Amino acid sequence: MQITRPNAINSHVCVAFIRGLAGVTRPDARVLMVYPLSSPLLELHHLGRDYGSITALSDISLTLPPGRIGLLGPNGAGKSTLLKILLGWLPPSRGTGRFLNVELTAPAPLRRQLRERVGFMPEADALIPGLSGVEYVAFAGELCGLPRRHALRRAHEILHLLEMDEARYRPVESYSTGMRQRVKLAQALVHDPPVLLLDEPTAGLDPAGRDALLQLLEHIATQYNKSIILSTHLLADVERICDQVVVLAAGQVCAAGQVEHLKDPRGNRYRLQTYGEDEVFATQLRLHNITILDHHRPGAWRVLVPADWKPQHFFKIAHQSQTIIHRLVPDEETLEELFLRLLSANKMKRGEDAGPPSLSTGEK
Amino acid sequence: MKGVDSQLLQFTPWEGNHTRRHAAAVAILRISLLLIVRQRLFWALLALAALAFFFFFYAQYLLVWISQHLAQETIRIAGFPVSVSNLLRFLDRLALNGSAHTYGNFIWFQGYIIVILLAFSGSQLFGNDIVYGSMLFYYSKPISLWHYFYGKCCTIALLLLMTTFIPAIILWIEAGLLFDWKTYYMQNYHLLLGITGYSTLIALTLSLLTAATALLFRRTTPLVLAWMGLFVLLRLISNWLTLATQDASWRLLDLWNNLYLCGLWCFGVDHATIRPVPQPSYDAACLVIVGIIILCLMYINFYLKYLYK
Repeated sequence: MQITRPNAINSHVCVAFIRGLAGVTRPDARVLMVYPLSSPLLELHHLGRDYGSITALSDISLTLPPGRIGLLGPNGAGKSTLLKILLGWLPPSRGTGRFLNVELTAPAPLRRQLRERVGFMPEADALIPGLSGVEYVAFAGELCGLPRRHALRRAHEILHLLEMDEARYRPVESYSTGMRQRVKLAQALVHDPPVLLLDEPTAGLDPAGRDALLQLLEHIATQYNKSIILSTHLLADVERICDQVVVLAAGQVCAAGQVEHLKDPRGNRYRLQTYGEDEVFATQLRLHNITILDHHRPGAWRVLVPADWKPQHFFKIAHQSQTIIHRLVPDEETLEELFLRLLSANKMKRGEDAGPPSLSTGEK
Repeated sequence: MKGVDSQLLQFTPWEGNHTRRHAAAVAILRISLLLIVRQRLFWALLALAALAFFFFFYAQYLLVWISQHLAQETIRIAGFPVSVSNLLRFLDRLALNGSAHTYGNFIWFQGYIIVILLAFSGSQLFGNDIVYGSMLFYYSKPISLWHYFYGKCCTIALLLLMTTFIPAIILWIEAGLLFDWKTYYMQNYHLLLGITGYSTLIALTLSLLTAATALLFRRTTPLVLAWMGLFVLLRLISNWLTLATQDASWRLLDLWNNLYLCGLWCFGVDHATIRPVPQPSYDAACLVIVGIIILCLMYINFYLKYLYK
């Protein structure tokens, strides 16, 4: 028997009409604006924010292109306030700024558009007990404006990408810390925002879990061309993921830019790993006017060489002291050293005593 | 298989249209309802609410049947002969006769279950969001917190309508079928409006009150205690003070009684027929309810405004 559908077009029209009434889709529905990659991601001009008499951000001027940006700073530096401003939760008290082409000083309903274009992964759990992983992520998609069916499909897709194949059907409250972080990342990604705002994404994870999550973040950033703003205390996370950093201290920007540009070049420092008699090798180094900066483990050296020194000379010394060099690299400034240097400089500039470091290197 | 999976579930860029923001409120309503119906306690409370409904449903039927078939008979209760007509006069006080008082009383009796149901759903819907940090989840999405609040309050209103409006409508339909249905429906259509008005008033007032108290107390136990204080303790105090002073204005302390009065006003009931006496005027009860609604809205607005600032 042949089945005919004479009213197929009419039924489509009816469905579209009913959906329109229900607010599911509409012809003039809001379309997510495609963010032009050529324009700066973030522009801030003398931006400040006060809470009563307390100044959280004093005078921030920044221009950052799209990319992977690490937001660093000790406690009370103003990172959280800056994140709240970028999410459109708070207006600045003074100054101007644009994030993803949205004025940060615009009224609240306009600033809310930012959250359509930003995926926020909070530090706190922010889960909804009683929902399964896929329901939670699909719900996040619906809140971001995806139609229900699409939100569910994308929730499955993103959870598959984040390697939560079977776990997605379990209640979120039964998840391990690693899974919680992944499902939080999934809810930030489900509506396909061009920018991810990550607040301490690896907090509470064991080294293996942390490594896995950082790998995923790297993959998402490169494969899907996402900009990332990573606010963290773990410098190793920033070093691994980010190509730019913004260092905040006492509500001000200490430094901002490419990590490689900010680092001190230090062409006269080397790191060596040797096998042999350390005493004899050390004596030979001193004879050649080389200052040993660090030698806390056998065979591991950080040294400062004279101006006309060439790396080949190390091998001569090694030959003379019957030692084998199996690693010789320039001693570039680490992010931790850069961070501490910037903080000390900032404190000295403000006339304070440079205190002990307050950030973790992430070495566990 | 793995290859097929990967192909089917490949993460792709989103290129579609976005829905209107009120669709987010509908999603919140749907998910909130899902969270409630997944709790066993909800089904237990719904079963208790259904018991009250079935009592009214069958009692109404039984009384009509007795009055039509056994009105002139005498039956023996505990060995004593009792005239059925006298018994019916006594049972008339329950007003199970399809009048405005039938529906008013039914909704009044549902109040006991509703108080527990709302304390439970308030802690589930609002309290859990604060305790487990889910407010941050909602706040990070492109909706205003009023959408959130609207979705949650609609869920509570829906639960209230499930326990008051829908059963009351069924009772109204049943009453029509028990009597001469054409005459009953024609003469009592205003009761339908009364049921709608009373249920809407309960849904509006109690959903706002639930939201405000849940935001204030957060966890189930303090919330239940607060609701018991509001609806049981205040009722006892107001009863005691009214009887002691014979001043009807003390009854205004009883929130459920105020809602009942406003509900009976919706039904168009003569104030003089309301029991127990004395009762405050309709205007005073409405004023208290409006005051509660305004207070709740002010508190919710204050809470949502300063939540993450």
